[in-house]
Amino acid sequence: MSIEVSGLTKKFGDFVALDDVSVSLPTGQLTALLGPSGGGKSTLLRIIAGLDTADSGTVSIEGVDATGLPAQKRNVGFVFQHYAVFKHMTVAKNVAFGLEIRKRPKAEIAHRVEELLELVHLSQFSHRLPSQLSGGQRQRMALARALAVEPSVLLLDEPFGALDAKVRKELRDWLRRLHDEVHVTTVFVTHDQEEALEVADEIVVINEGRVEQVGSPDQLYDEPANDFVMGFLGEVTTLGGVVLRPHDIEVALQPGLAGAVRGTVTRVLRVGFEVRVTVRTGDGDPTAVSAQASPETTVVLTRTHARQLGLDAGTQVWLTPASGATTVSSMAPAGRRAAVTSGV
Amino acid sequence: MVSPPVKWGLRVLAVGYVFFLVAWPLALLVRQTFGNGLGNLVDALGDEQVTGALQLTAMIAFWAVVINLVFGVTISILLVRYEFPGKRVLSALIDLPLSVSPVVVGLALVLAYNGRNGLVGPELEARGVQVIFDSPGMIMATCFVALPLVIREVVPVLVEVGDDQEQAARSLGANAPQTFWRITLPSIKWGVVYGVVLSLARSVGEFGAVKIVSGNITGRTQTATLVVEQKYQNFQQETAYATSFLLILVSIACLLVVAFLRPKHDS
Repeated sequence: MSIEVSGLTKKFGDFVALDDVSVSLPTGQLTALLGPSGGGKSTLLRIIAGLDTADSGTVSIEGVDATGLPAQKRNVGFVFQHYAVFKHMTVAKNVAFGLEIRKRPKAEIAHRVEELLELVHLSQFSHRLPSQLSGGQRQRMALARALAVEPSVLLLDEPFGALDAKVRKELRDWLRRLHDEVHVTTVFVTHDQEEALEVADEIVVINEGRVEQVGSPDQLYDEPANDFVMGFLGEVTTLGGVVLRPHDIEVALQPGLAGAVRGTVTRVLRVGFEVRVTVRTGDGDPTAVSAQASPETTVVLTRTHARQLGLDAGTQVWLTPASGATTVSSMAPAGRRAAVTSGV
Repeated sequence: MVSPPVKWGLRVLAVGYVFFLVAWPLALLVRQTFGNGLGNLVDALGDEQVTGALQLTAMIAFWAVVINLVFGVTISILLVRYEFPGKRVLSALIDLPLSVSPVVVGLALVLAYNGRNGLVGPELEARGVQVIFDSPGMIMATCFVALPLVIREVVPVLVEVGDDQEQAARSLGANAPQTFWRITLPSIKWGVVYGVVLSLARSVGEFGAVKIVSGNITGRTQTATLVVEQKYQNFQQETAYATSFLLILVSIACLLVVAFLRPKHDS
């Protein structure tokens, strides 16, 4: 294990940013810390880097206890959301910074900088100032700068958060390819589940200062530990007391299957190739509906399927979870969810 | 939109105000200086009292600026980057020299450091260090009145720059001094230069505090501004004008430096 975090707690005044967090991040992998804003993921990353200190708990990097080490002795590369470029230095000087601090020979520095700028496709910009680069280019430069010192781990704090959607997507693919080339243990923080699912080998879901689940993207998507993870990784709706994805609901015009929930279509919305149908399930057979369940269920169908069924406002339908659908009971964590909503 | 008559009215008002208050009196002073060619200036520069005072002013302004530069940058970093109890009090104290009359500053320093019954004065004098009626006291008085100028220039720049770059430098292996010299100082450079120029102008022009602390001893603790006053009162107006003109030159040089730096600082 490359990074071993155990029992980390961090408070900012009354606010608990991290609550007894323990997690192991494997060597050589690309790990995402995923969670909503203010959930503690950036704090965790900054504590691993030594930029913040925890109130209690330990951090070890590559088997060395780093808890008391200052940032400059941890040999981690850190990439900031807002790039943190050295504005008064050229691109080449920015990348060379860590090597110059380490007093490497001039020729070696020049060679390494050239190599890294090649890697991040910025060779032709080496003599420019950061202010002459676009956001995406600046972040690539920041990445090269962090990689220059051959860090044992590379930490990225919402690295693409300040970029526009198109550049973000490009850089995301590029980061994945870069990691396949360089193989340095990489941890990045994101609140974008699509980014995490697409790029990461492993995802750590963090919410309210706690680790909700650790697993591969498939594990998280197919076997979410609770309704929070399920809800955070994609759209969800409730049907008969379970949380499930809106496209995992089968719609019938006749009561056929056992346990089908009767409802009335209240709204049909066509968005591109899909149709989003809102069904009110509260008014029919009261025994079929759990007390906690929302009386409204959202179902997503393809356009063709919706046309076959002839769905329209007022149509009577019977809903059942599709076989093999990922479901989570909405009852167990209901108390906590209620607490979340009232807290916000 | 402001109507043309109002616009013109405001312009005339502003230009007229500055003209009658600043430009015209200063122009008269310059005319008096060159009333008989370069004679006055040559006479003034030939007067040992004047040249000595100019040298003293230069020396005192130099040390005051150096001391304020070092402490100003240090205190600015302390105020912006660190949290500590008493921070607000310190911040308020720094502004005090702007609101307290320099004469009061001079009196306070005399009270604290004089050789007869000051708090530490007798102790220092026993060791051969005279503070009041000598250069150390004059430098202290000048530092006091110019104290806020560097800090008030550097603090906003430090806030604006943020600590991202410093954190990045740390994570790349730089220790505190390396981070300061390579990252922090270059990014606040123009704020520092601007603060130094303002301090210099203020130090050269200081009169009240220095007059009280120095004892105004002719030929020994008399700075250029004190000489101007004395010459004027001794009916040597020409020398007073000429010396004033030299002081104006320093101020103009300072303003020019600032004017040239400001656009770069903004970009």
